[in-house]
Amino acid sequence: MTDKQNRAQASEPAAEAALEMELTDADILDAMQHIPGYLDISTEDFRTIYHLSHRHATERLFGNTRAENLMRTGITPLQPEMTLDAAAVALVAAGSRALPVVDAGGCVTGILTENDFLRQLEVASLPALLLAMQENTSDLNPRLHAITVRQAMTVPVVTIGRQAGFMQIIGAFHQHAGRSLPVVDEGGRFLGMLLRKDFLHTYHLENLL
Amino acid sequence: MKLPEYLHKMRGTTRGSPPRVSNEEILWSWIGAFAGIAIVAWVNRLFFEGTDLTMMIGSFGATAVLVYGAVRSPLAQPRNMVGGHIISAFIGVACWKLFHQFPWLAEAAAVATAIAVMHLTRTLHPPGGATALIAVIGSPDIHKLGFWYVLMPATLGPLILLLVALLVNNIPASRRYPEIWF
Repeated sequence: MTDKQNRAQASEPAAEAALEMELTDADILDAMQHIPGYLDISTEDFRTIYHLSHRHATERLFGNTRAENLMRTGITPLQPEMTLDAAAVALVAAGSRALPVVDAGGCVTGILTENDFLRQLEVASLPALLLAMQENTSDLNPRLHAITVRQAMTVPVVTIGRQAGFMQIIGAFHQHAGRSLPVVDEGGRFLGMLLRKDFLHTYHLENLL
Repeated sequence: MKLPEYLHKMRGTTRGSPPRVSNEEILWSWIGAFAGIAIVAWVNRLFFEGTDLTMMIGSFGATAVLVYGAVRSPLAQPRNMVGGHIISAFIGVACWKLFHQFPWLAEAAAVATAIAVMHLTRTLHPPGGATALIAVIGSPDIHKLGFWYVLMPATLGPLILLLVALLVNNIPASRRYPEIWF
């Protein structure tokens, strides 16, 4: 397992916290007031039951989740030696906003995103790029010819193992701002892309991440 | 465990106690307990006055708190209520017969064993501890009952209280009983 996958796992508690709201005593006491009759349970016991039940339900609902079942396949990754203009063609052809970069052995070494292009063009955002183009168009194209994917790509890349489960996926998405994660096999080789929107759509979690 | 940690546990976990129940709840608790205890008392008076048998023991007051005052409690469900009294009564009588030369031992063993066996059989019912203790410290009349104490009052009494609980606790819309039979 790579270091990157370890990092994804390390943030599982954060993912759990995002999924599960912490209940205060006041929350529980208020609920108890809505139930007629005397409840012989302490707020602390209720909270403990709630946490354990929540964990059990999460496991029941999402326990079979595997990154490899949710990923998009058939994606052609970029090579580190490609120039940025060739990479742009590939991104447009793939209809993606980001593509993984793999070395000769198929291992994911980075990811090239829209933001990487903007950074190389020394603008902060797409509107800034439009303004720059209005003022001075001549400067943009030569730069894209000269820069390789290796120089521009985002490293280190957050990847996710093919067997990663629900909490690991959430943890990985919490780790970076990107919209997609490269899914890798046990050797770190590229298998496919897990898109944030696919993941959220599958589990109706649009309001979570 | 370190001492500060040990002492810290004694501070409790929660600020503020559970909420008071509504006046309606209080009224229904009162009605249920009044009816339940009254019927046990009347059965005792009509059928067993002047006999060696007795129908009323103190632990029924505690049972009434649960089955009429904390209807939802797992401790108040039929399995616990009837099972807890029967098991505890048996253990209480047995402890008296085994250890009556050493009353302190009979008392302690009765209550402690009753709790353990109620746990084992998933019939924990706090008044059972009293039922076991009464079998040991009870009057000479109680001691004379021997194992009849298990049937009378320790089975019949809870059955009457259970019947009243079924009838009374299901009248108000806000209550239902039991949550679970067995």
